[in-house]
Parts: sequence; C-alpha cells; structure tokens
Amino acid sequence: MARRELTVGVGAGDLATADMVLNIGPQHPATHGVLRLRVTLDGERIMAADPIVGYMHRGAEKLFEVRDYRQILVLANRHDWLSAFSNEIGLALAVERMLGMDVPERATWARTLLTELNRVLNHLMFLGSYPLELGAITPIFYAFREREELQAVMEEISGGRMHYMFNRVGGLREDIPAGWLVRVTAAIDAVRRRMPDLESLLVGNEIVHARTRGVGVLTPEVIHAYGVSGPIARASGVDVDLRRDQPYLAYAELFAPGGAGRVVTRTEGDCLARLEVLLEQVQVSLDLAQACVERLSAMPGGPINVKLPKVVKVPEGDDYVATENPLGLNGYYLVSRGEKTPWRLKLRSASFNNVAVLAEVLPGTLLADMVAILGSMFFVVGDIDK
Amino acid sequence: MSRPDQHKHGLVPGLVKGMATTARTMTSHAHTQEYPDVKPELPPRSRGVIALLAENCTSCMLCARECPDWCIYIDSHKETIPAGPEGGRDRQQNVLDRFAIDFSLCMYCGICIEVCPFDALFWSPEFEYAETDIRDMLHEKDRLGEWMATVPPPPATDPGAQ
Amino acid sequence: MTTSLPMPKVGPMQAAAPKPMRLVLNWGRRYSLWVFNFGLACCAIEFIATSMARHDFIRLGVIPFAPGPRQADLMVVSGTVTDKMAPAVRRLYDQMPEPKYVISFGACSNSGGPYWDSYCVTKGVDQIIPVDVYVPGCPPRPEALLQGILKLQEKIAAEQVRGASLRERLGSAVGRSSVAAQVSRPLVQPPSDGLQDNAE
Repeated sequence: MARRELTVGVGAGDLATADMVLNIGPQHPATHGVLRLRVTLDGERIMAADPIVGYMHRGAEKLFEVRDYRQILVLANRHDWLSAFSNEIGLALAVERMLGMDVPERATWARTLLTELNRVLNHLMFLGSYPLELGAITPIFYAFREREELQAVMEEISGGRMHYMFNRVGGLREDIPAGWLVRVTAAIDAVRRRMPDLESLLVGNEIVHARTRGVGVLTPEVIHAYGVSGPIARASGVDVDLRRDQPYLAYAELFAPGGAGRVVTRTEGDCLARLEVLLEQVQVSLDLAQACVERLSAMPGGPINVKLPKVVKVPEGDDYVATENPLGLNGYYLVSRGEKTPWRLKLRSASFNNVAVLAEVLPGTLLADMVAILGSMFFVVGDIDK
Repeated sequence: MSRPDQHKHGLVPGLVKGMATTARTMTSHAHTQEYPDVKPELPPRSRGVIALLAENCTSCMLCARECPDWCIYIDSHKETIPAGPEGGRDRQQNVLDRFAIDFSLCMYCGICIEVCPFDALFWSPEFEYAETDIRDMLHEKDRLGEWMATVPPPPATDPGAQ
Repeated sequence: MTTSLPMPKVGPMQAAAPKPMRLVLNWGRRYSLWVFNFGLACCAIEFIATSMARHDFIRLGVIPFAPGPRQADLMVVSGTVTDKMAPAVRRLYDQMPEPKYVISFGACSNSGGPYWDSYCVTKGVDQIIPVDVYVPGCPPRPEALLQGILKLQEKIAAEQVRGASLRERLGSAVGRSSVAAQVSRPLVQPPSDGLQDNAE
C-alpha cells in the first residue's frame, strides 16, 4: 500500500500523533453502495474528509444519446434506483413540454399517485437503513414489511417491483386495473396503521437521540453553497419544495390552500432533524396518495395516454425540467436537434450535491459520528455517479 | 440546542416504547412467505419472462430493432407459396428459423411486447429460470414457446378506462 | 508490512474422503452458506428485501451476517460492476476462503444488462471471477434469488471437491494462490502527480 502516514507515537517523547488516512469503502456496509471516503484522522477526530465518487459511474448520460425517447424512459429510472418512478416523470415531463403535448388528466393524477407511493417506498428504505447504520437492526424489518405492501400494488399496476418503466411520453403505458384503487387505499391504510410501530422504535428513542442530536449540523449557508436539496435542505430550515414552489403534475392543486400537501421543515439541521423530516414526509405522502386515489375514483372516464406517432422526434431546442424527487431536486436538461434521439441529456441528480457537502460537515467531528452523518445524507450511489 | 420535544417523553422512556412494539410483534403471526413450498401469487402484469407465440410472428424484426439491449436474435428466410389451383400469383412468406432472447442481457422493459404488431410476444410472471451456465440463459424459440402456457389473461381495467 | 498467509483450502484429505463422508461435507456446506453481499446497485435492494422477514433466506441456510469476505462462503454480486469497481470485486473474491461460490444477481452482473454499451461497465462479472449461478431479472424478484440459491444448493450437493472437478468449475482460477500483496493491491493506480498522501 502506498500510504504510510501512521507513525506510532511510542517513544516519540510527546503525545503528538501523526495524521492517519483511513479509507472507508468502496465496499463498506455503511456506504450502502460503493461510495468511498478518504478520511484523515487525528486520533479520533476527523481532520479532512474526501468523498471519492465514480465507482458506480455507468455513463448513463452518454447512453441516452444513442437511444430514442422510449428507450431512454426505461433507462432513466435506474440512476436513483429507490425513486425510479420520479426519475421517469422528470424526463417524460421534459419531452412532453418540448413536444407541446397535453397529457390526459387521468394520467396526470395517476402519475402523481405513483410518484407519491414511490416517495414513501424510498423514505421507508432510509428509515430502515439509517437506524441499521446507527446499530439498531429492528426498524429495517418493519420498514420492509411496509415496503412489500406498497411494492405489491406498484407491481400490480406496472409489473415491476422496483423499476416500474411505466411512463410513456404522453401518459402511462397501461390503464389502471379494475379494483386497483381499492387495493391502493387498503395498502395506504395498512401502512398508516403500522407506521406507529416503526415510529415507536425511532421517535423518542434515547439511543437514536444520543447518536444524532446536534450531530452533523448543516447551516442554511452551507446548504445554499453546495446546492443541497430535498429533505436534507428542509431539515436545516431551507423551505424549498418544487411540488409547491414550481408545481408539476397535479401538485398545484394538492399544495393549494386546503390541499393535502404541506412542506415538512425543521430548523435544527442535525441528523435527527433529517430523520424526523423523512418520518413526517411519509405521512404527508400517504395523505397525498390518498387524495389522488379519491380524485381518481371520482373522475369521469378518459384515456390514460396519448396516441403517439411511430417515431417521436422532439423539435429543436432545449429545456430544463426539475422535479422534487424523494432525495432532492432531480433535473433533466434536454437538448434536441430535432432527431429521434437527444443531442445531449444532462442529468442533475440530488445525491451528488448532497454528498459533496460531506467534505464540509465531517471535519471536526468524531470518527464514531461519521457513519451517523454519512447515513443521514440519504444518498443513493447511482444517483451520485449516474 | 433545546427542542420542544426534548421534555415531552412523558413517563415511558423511548426505549421501553420500542421494546413494547417488539413484544407486540412477537405475538403476531409472521408474514414470511414460504417460497419453495408455496408459490407466490403474482399479478398478471408482473414482468417475469417473455413468451413467444411463434405462429403469430412474421419475423418483421420490429422487436429486435426497438430493443434497447439488442438481446433478441431473429433469423428467417423467405419461402414462396405457389399459387393455388384457382390461379392467382405466387406469394412470398417469411418463415421464422430462429427466435431467441438473451435473458442475461434483457432489461425487462417490455418494449418488444409493446411494439409487436401481431401479438406474438407476451409477459409471463414466471421467474424460475436461474441457470448455472450463462449460455442457458439464451432461450431459443421452443423454450420461449413453452412459456406461453404460463401467460395469464390480462387484468380487467378500471371502469374509467377508455 | 503484509504477511503472506496461505488461503485456507479443502485439502487432499477431502478429495480422498469416502462417499458417505463427502455427503456429510456437502450437506454441511449447502445449508450454511455465509453470504457476503456485494451490493452495487438496484439489485442490492432486492437482495436486502430477500434477507428481510417476508422472504427470509435464512430459512434456506443462507446467513447474511458474514463480517467480510474472509468469513464468507457465498458472494452475491448484485448490481452493475463498473470497470473502476472490478478490481475491488476481484480482490474481495480472492480474499474468500475455498470452497467459495458466486451468484450473479441481475442482468447487470450477468452481462452488463441495460448498460451493455457503456464505456465504463464490465460486461458481466464472470469476466473477472467464476460464477456458479446466474439469476435473471432487472432486478430479479426476491423469489428469483431464492430459486438461484436452491439451484446452487443442488449443485453443491452433487459436487466433488477434488482437483479435476474444481478445475472444471473454477477454470483458471483454481489453485491460484493469493498472496497478501495481491489481495491488498491498491484499487487504482494513483496519478504520478497525484495527491500528496498518495506519494509512495
């Protein structure tokens, strides 16, 4: 190995120790994926931390350039594998806006419903894995019980448990199966009924508090400087949520006064606040999903997609569409030269910025807190590396 | 850094609350699915494996061209059907020699099924085809045809559908 | 200062063991597969789902508590292996003691999957390590992993751990002695004008 910075202080005459460089990852259970961190330690205190990304870089942006829009839609969900549906939505909206296409109302509401269910699935994963990283193995069992419940209804409509590939330009691939809305309501109710189980393991738990309260505090200035978004930004009091501030899909109505939507914020900016935001967002998303179900059941019949020409060619131009993904802002910058493939499709993913901030928060903290802070950034490695 | 919730634990400490949940769950029935003994009930749309109805295939190559992974292999040749006794012209027909899907590469997007103009491809929820040799993941025409028996009828759609 | 220790191996005694003994050994091996999850991408989530209460592969004797590759019998490669990650996959595989098994879980690790034409994705983990069972899917559902595990257990039950059959299974990888310097080689070559702490 190349690194030889550790010199043992015995006999050195004083207690000064040399800095130790510690590699965490790329294959480490706490990084859930293949993020690598190079941490410089002085004793137990972190002097510098350097996230080294790229171990999951799959070159998706380059692949988009050689695929037509239907093929991109089935590939674009894979960078953030926990929010596949939200990833598809952003791209579908971008293409539809550039085509000037109107999406049927039923499709819009069904998409909103699926996006919110996907958000719950994503948050449940982190509500399970974060305590696991803190040393509590039990919550993840409860989280996955709820996930299976929701994945079952997602699979029934889309055919996939994780990669739904259910969006098409102009709507959804297939219509809602008969009785599905009833089963969604049942699933939402079941999750809502059992959420207190998961909450009882986290909310008010002294060990969780001891590990997370006041740890890894992000100030709004840092949030703005690094472009951090999503639940992490909102936990620091940065009140940004594109569902309300730049509504897409049916969110304008849901986040209107009297609607089911509300933006969850905290002001502390520590790990506990980030966990609390996630917990509360699950409830909000369940409310939103329920509102969508009610709306869809009351809606008059109609198509769920638009009949497409054989070859979809996006007119020349460019557009940027950002959506509020479960983990933060997810943007697609689409440049078209009028071909059936995009000339360039830039992907702005949330986790990249959210992880970049680690270099800022980790120095000065203890090594034992590193995992707590790292886990509370709620990242997906594919979303960092694309 | 004081928070409003810091003092509202009440009498029951958080740890005990968690233990109570665990104790309650312990008495409830496990939701484990005994997979090898009990087969899971899968929805008809579940994307497990692609089945081929070879009679319907005209080897038009649309699926192979639209596949994002290029994992469909089609070989065909043209045969001339001589004109019948009542006259007419000789007709040419495509005969499918080979239709294979490489399931080690397939990304299960379903584009091939969607673009097929003659309804020759179907989703089946079957998933039990793990192999010890990667070459066996290439399902040839007859194996793809065998999956047809497992294709469920499509689900009824919502009354709002048009 | 790395010391080269020999890899633990099933010795010649095992090969010469009488058939009833081999049955017992194989039976023991197939129902105590300590699994090391090489979770790389989407499929890792389905792997976790399989280890959770609903699918629960501990029923089949797969134990997901291996602290690291050195204590594991089975490696499940779930997700896209990128060219940057490939040396680490190989290195961790080399650290596993014999007899060892690999399940390739999902299209990406089978042959690159949706990223088959990417400039930075390894087209299948079997290019760098021998794979015993390929599980198809993108991602495969948890039951598909369970079926893959059953398939592997059948294979273990039928196996004879002796030179010829090992060579057949592992190809060129058999008998490759992994010295410490090999399995602890740096992941990527530092650039010549690299960061300071990369200096030799």
